[in-house]
Amino acid sequence: MRKILLGSWLLSLLFCLPVLAQDVAVSGRVTSSDDGSTLPGVSVQVKGTTRGAITDANGNYQINVEPNARLVFSFIGYAGQEVAVGNKKAVNVVLVPGSQSLDEIVVTAQGIERDKRSLGYATQEIGGDKLSQRSTPDVLSALQGKTAGLSITGSSGAPGASTNINIRGITSFNGSNQPLIVVDGIIFSNDVNATQNTLFGTQPSNRLADINPETIESINILKGPAAAVLYGSRASAGAIVITTKSGRNNNNKTEVTVNSSYNVQNVYGIPTFQNTYGQGANNLFTPTSNNSWGPAFSDVTSVTNFQGNTVPYKAYPNNVRDFYRQGTLIQNSVNIASGDANRNYVIALGNTLQNGIIQNSKFNRTNVQIGGESKLQNGLKVSGTGTYVQTVSKGIPGGNGASAFGQITRIPRSYDLANEPYQDLNGKSIYFTPSTNNPQWAANNEFLDSQIDRFFGNFQLSYDVAPWLNVAYRVTGDTYSDRRKLTLPIGSGRSPLGQVQQDNFFRNELNGDLLITARKDNIFMKGLNANLLLGNNINQRKNQEAYVDAASLTIPGFYNVSNGTVFTGSGENTTLRRLVGYYGQLSLNYNNYLFLELSGRADQSSTLPAANSTYFYPSASVSFVPTDAFKINSDVLSYVKVRASAARVGRDADPYLLNSVYVQSTYGNNLASINFPLSIGGASIPGFGISNRIGNNNLTPEFVTSYEAGINVGFLKNRLSIDATYFDSRSTNQIFNVAISNSSGYNTRTTNVGELRNRGVEVVLNATPVRVGGFKWDMTLNYTLIRNNVVSIAPGVKSATITGNSFIGIAPSISEGSPYGVVISTANSRVQSTDATAQYYDATGQFAGQYVVNGITGAFAPGVPNSVISNPQANYTAGLNNTFSYKGFSLNVLVDTRQGGQLFSFSAADVRSNGSMYVTGIDRDQPRILPGVILNSDGTFRPNNIQLPAQTYWGALGGLASEGAVFDATVYRLREVALNYTLPKSVLGKTPFGSISVGVSGRNLLFYAPYFPADPEINTQGAGNIQGLDLNGPPNTRNFGGNVRLTF
Amino acid sequence: MKSIVSKSYLLIPFFLGLGACSNYLDVNVTPNNPTSVTPAVLLPGAQAGMAFANANELNRFTSVLTQQLAGAANSPATYDVYQTNGADFGNQWSGEIYNGALINYQKLIQLADANNAKAYSGIAKILKAYTFSIATDVWGDVPYSQALQGEAFTAPRLDKQEDIYKGNATLSIQSLFDLVREGIKDLDATSSVMPGADDIIFKGDLNKWKQAGNTILLKFAMTISRKEPALATTVINEVLTGNNYIKTNAGDMNFTFGASVGSQDPRYTYVYVSTFLNDLIMSTRYLNLLTSLNDPRLPIFFTKPGANYVTIDNGFRGTLPTPTANWSRYNKYVVGNAGEGPVRFITNFQRAFALAEAALRLGTPGDPQVLYTEGITASMTLAGLTPAQITAYLTANPTVATLTGTNEQKIAQIITQKYVAFTGNGLELWNNYRRTGYPAVQLSQNAGGIDGTLPVRAVYINDELQRNPNFPNPAPQSNVRVWWDID
Repeated sequence: MRKILLGSWLLSLLFCLPVLAQDVAVSGRVTSSDDGSTLPGVSVQVKGTTRGAITDANGNYQINVEPNARLVFSFIGYAGQEVAVGNKKAVNVVLVPGSQSLDEIVVTAQGIERDKRSLGYATQEIGGDKLSQRSTPDVLSALQGKTAGLSITGSSGAPGASTNINIRGITSFNGSNQPLIVVDGIIFSNDVNATQNTLFGTQPSNRLADINPETIESINILKGPAAAVLYGSRASAGAIVITTKSGRNNNNKTEVTVNSSYNVQNVYGIPTFQNTYGQGANNLFTPTSNNSWGPAFSDVTSVTNFQGNTVPYKAYPNNVRDFYRQGTLIQNSVNIASGDANRNYVIALGNTLQNGIIQNSKFNRTNVQIGGESKLQNGLKVSGTGTYVQTVSKGIPGGNGASAFGQITRIPRSYDLANEPYQDLNGKSIYFTPSTNNPQWAANNEFLDSQIDRFFGNFQLSYDVAPWLNVAYRVTGDTYSDRRKLTLPIGSGRSPLGQVQQDNFFRNELNGDLLITARKDNIFMKGLNANLLLGNNINQRKNQEAYVDAASLTIPGFYNVSNGTVFTGSGENTTLRRLVGYYGQLSLNYNNYLFLELSGRADQSSTLPAANSTYFYPSASVSFVPTDAFKINSDVLSYVKVRASAARVGRDADPYLLNSVYVQSTYGNNLASINFPLSIGGASIPGFGISNRIGNNNLTPEFVTSYEAGINVGFLKNRLSIDATYFDSRSTNQIFNVAISNSSGYNTRTTNVGELRNRGVEVVLNATPVRVGGFKWDMTLNYTLIRNNVVSIAPGVKSATITGNSFIGIAPSISEGSPYGVVISTANSRVQSTDATAQYYDATGQFAGQYVVNGITGAFAPGVPNSVISNPQANYTAGLNNTFSYKGFSLNVLVDTRQGGQLFSFSAADVRSNGSMYVTGIDRDQPRILPGVILNSDGTFRPNNIQLPAQTYWGALGGLASEGAVFDATVYRLREVALNYTLPKSVLGKTPFGSISVGVSGRNLLFYAPYFPADPEINTQGAGNIQGLDLNGPPNTRNFGGNVRLTF
Repeated sequence: MKSIVSKSYLLIPFFLGLGACSNYLDVNVTPNNPTSVTPAVLLPGAQAGMAFANANELNRFTSVLTQQLAGAANSPATYDVYQTNGADFGNQWSGEIYNGALINYQKLIQLADANNAKAYSGIAKILKAYTFSIATDVWGDVPYSQALQGEAFTAPRLDKQEDIYKGNATLSIQSLFDLVREGIKDLDATSSVMPGADDIIFKGDLNKWKQAGNTILLKFAMTISRKEPALATTVINEVLTGNNYIKTNAGDMNFTFGASVGSQDPRYTYVYVSTFLNDLIMSTRYLNLLTSLNDPRLPIFFTKPGANYVTIDNGFRGTLPTPTANWSRYNKYVVGNAGEGPVRFITNFQRAFALAEAALRLGTPGDPQVLYTEGITASMTLAGLTPAQITAYLTANPTVATLTGTNEQKIAQIITQKYVAFTGNGLELWNNYRRTGYPAVQLSQNAGGIDGTLPVRAVYINDELQRNPNFPNPAPQSNVRVWWDID
């Protein structure tokens, strides 16, 4: 019986073939009614199916349709059109500008293409044209200011420095809050691997840096759990779905695109310095001082320096700036694409070479991509793509103290850094302070080299079993190795006896996805269409780090691990995790104005205890278009869509959290340390101790539950449209290492605790304020407001440190009632009027909130430990992107702002307390009074009136581990300007070129930070959960350059 | 019908995963760390933690307070003007003491008891008691009876220092004395495994451990001798009667570090290797003391790279002497040739000085002068002086060699010699100073802090105040005496 059934099934497949073969190819060209120019990028959709195409650079498309199909043409800024194909082979269409369509086709979770109007949740699509040639090699930086709901922060202007990205706030105490990145269906690692402690290591890249922005067709951002639920656990922080260019829309022509650009980078955003006073303290010259509290240059003409030489005593106004060089960024790419929707291929080659602003730093990325798809005669569709990337980079360590960046903030104004010799004949550092290294020496001797070799690709088989049923299987893989070498010569600040470390990372991820899609129109009733998706995912992730650490070098200048004498820092770390997921999604569409979508996914994870390893989570969303439902045909109110969704996403644990383990014993920190095995008297003695974390064999998954509601409104034939979203998400059952009393013998225990809430508003406003003749001004405003709140942590635990590296006494933390990531440290004492038992209580309330000043010294009173002193979360962010186009010209201007949020800055505290910051040079001979009040003996207060000399005053405002190092990070920025000119076709008539465009672009051209003396967009610890710290890292850059794009 | 059945085949791969999952997902055992260990790897890790606790930051703090060293920069300089608060010593409290030495002694005791490895239990109990004495001597009341029990008490209560030293049956608190006694008793039991090279302190010599245990009882007794003279007398008499305590320098309980990076004594790393090597310098006051005593150990204790000893006064805030290469730093007696140390936990000279003091203070058996001379001789021998040199020194310096005056004056002499002998062990210096007031200290220049007085305790670390509601908040400041420190 079974055999017969199977046979008949195969038979039915055969019968299907001729039916499929009856599809006819339709092609045509889409032009604008404005000037008859061709329109690239127009969406061409076969009505009632998921089949679609996009017009190519010349406005041509080709698509296979069944007879009597209807094609829907839609394009931003133009009225949509629906055309019956009949038995025509060519359908040319002229689109009329005016009524902008808000119903684009977007790529959603699992690569499913959807009509945007059917979505009950927010997504935002950014075209590749908005990302290419933007004077940056990094996709994420190019996205800054262009989206709502995203927080993107660069860490510095160092080549390859990582970029942090969070969508809709922070949803996990301890897990990764970076969104899932998907490139052509490939789950793409965006990990950051640190070789050194992030407090003072070289800034590593996040691995999305391996993507060449020029290859990107579009990016779609799935913001909430409802949008991303099909990706499962890993998309609980949202997902970024990247689609690269293919040959699908080339209309069977081969097109070669060549892109070249050259940019220069200059250091930008370092503080303004005073140039009136030089090295020393208390108005006296001291040759070994880091301070610029010495005499005025007008009073002293020459001094004896630290080497005993008489040198002129004068300001070197650019001594900090000249430490940096001009960086260059050269990007070249060739893209060869050919084919049509059924058979196509793409070959892309790209190279990015960046020589950074820091001496010796560089970033060199080469990408090679081959991809294609083919539909076989039997209806089987085969597609695949493979990309090889090699990224070679070099950087130098940063961080407070013993690094170039730790010292550059401590250079007196009278020290000629650029021209003083920095090393002696033996290669030893020469510097005015004996126990630290010259920044020039550090930049020329301490390196972290890295070479990434990465391959990622996918392979997919898809088969239309019936016109309404498709089965597909997709395998994707992403694997890379990062071979690093850290070289710290003898005499190096962090490793005085020298160190060579070989650090090899390997990462591999495999995914297999089965996708079954079925659709049925007019189910149960006319006008009700249903789509059903069933899927299965099998996932494996493997990470391995193996490192040989050779310390205490013997032969100077010989940087091979064989030169080391101590190898106790060597080791290995491997993790393997697996997950099996089952998911389904039912989408209902009623007359194309009412939509309902139900999704569910069950995951089984290897990282949870067997009893709790399977967990299910659902989502539901609705979307309604009243303008269509009630047939409102108004030129003023053109389109209204309301939508709502509710979703829950589960998240598994990191591997190996269930058990307590033993670790090789180690004691101490950067002051002094020992590591087992100890080498004592020629014997090697192993030693282990219990890890300071208590494992938990009862862990359960953590969940993010999110509600979202939004509205899309189009006015004036959609010339003005608003997309507004409100969301409220709660993360519960957080898998967290809860801090416990150290006297319990442990530092943390892993458990499910706490609640984290994110609420926010996202607004995207699109408008075309001006369209006169050939001139057009389009603008997009993105606004994001997120309120993040740690609702609770654990019983009896009011605050806890975020996992990661931190300096003692400056702990990025979660604290009940505060936003995620606040810094807990010592706050200045303030007068209060609420707690009568407080030390400084003012019943009158007159002085409430004022600082308390010591009535004898005039300095601030001792501070209050364990206080929240800095909050890194912005109040709101906004970006305004303008595009002005006229004939072949197009000018893009992006301005953005971040309001509020605080930065904890070592660098600024340094230059202020050491008297080199500009303000410290103003009226230096005048005494000053710290803001605050003094406690009288009778318990009342009086305003502080104690005068301090300038040096004492600026020092008393606060040093590194104090509230004085906290600054408001508000900034306004001219983020991006790009001017492009495309030569008219008429000029190119007889040349081999299909099109030529030339452009200039600039990035980070201007900023204004009212409360911070430098550029506040700095983030020394890079991508990750610890944000808002400037612990002496490289500065930002201003980039500009030119580019040319040719097609053949 | 046909199409519905045929469609169901397509679901086969979908369900295939379900059955196969259990093995596929069974990969959550860490390949990176062991989940069980032997006593032989726990013991050295814990011993090293205890040595590190003694010789690292707490030694810098206490050696500066007791003015053998002076702080030239960074944290030692702030300690030198008596500034300390709850931001200090977090790593010492957690990484070195509770999460370092103590929890692993606790684990070792559990593991050894379960495997009848009584020798390890005995050693671990003695060392656990010693490490707890560091914690309570530095911070006063600390978690003790409820400490080290993981999830059972994630916020352990604080036990009074008095209860820690004396025990409290009502609260089920075992005294440190009883803990040591229990350890010594374990050493007499048969043991399934014996320590060897993994015992960095005594290489598995159990008799030395017993002697060290008994001498630790003497040390504890002296610590509480002014607060609880009767109990101290009882303990000392018990040890003297038992007559198995450290009597030669060979019996000293020392932890020797290694000579290569990553194995070196933190006192060496800090002043010779680290970025912070110019934070510490010999104190001018200690130089003056040793010079006034004509003490031959001066060049053995501190270096003199230039023509003269280069030192600064405590609390000094002027331009530091240059070149830093000529600064007087810890010499080989303290830090070894290349960072070997050793850390001297319990020594023969300490035993002699303790018995000398006890004879005077408590009237316990022994001739104070004989014991005093024995102490000086033991220390000088340890420093590498020959018997002839020692005799010559004592003969030439009768004011040093002979106890004179009132009992209190004699005790001052004894503690001063103990102070010199313990150069490099700041905790012992500070304990003795707080207990006896000797050698008398003149406050440092620029003394600040809470009230300008020398700190007599460390402030509870901020982390504990945050995590454990049993800690008093605000914590007692650095000018509040611990229980045994009566004046």
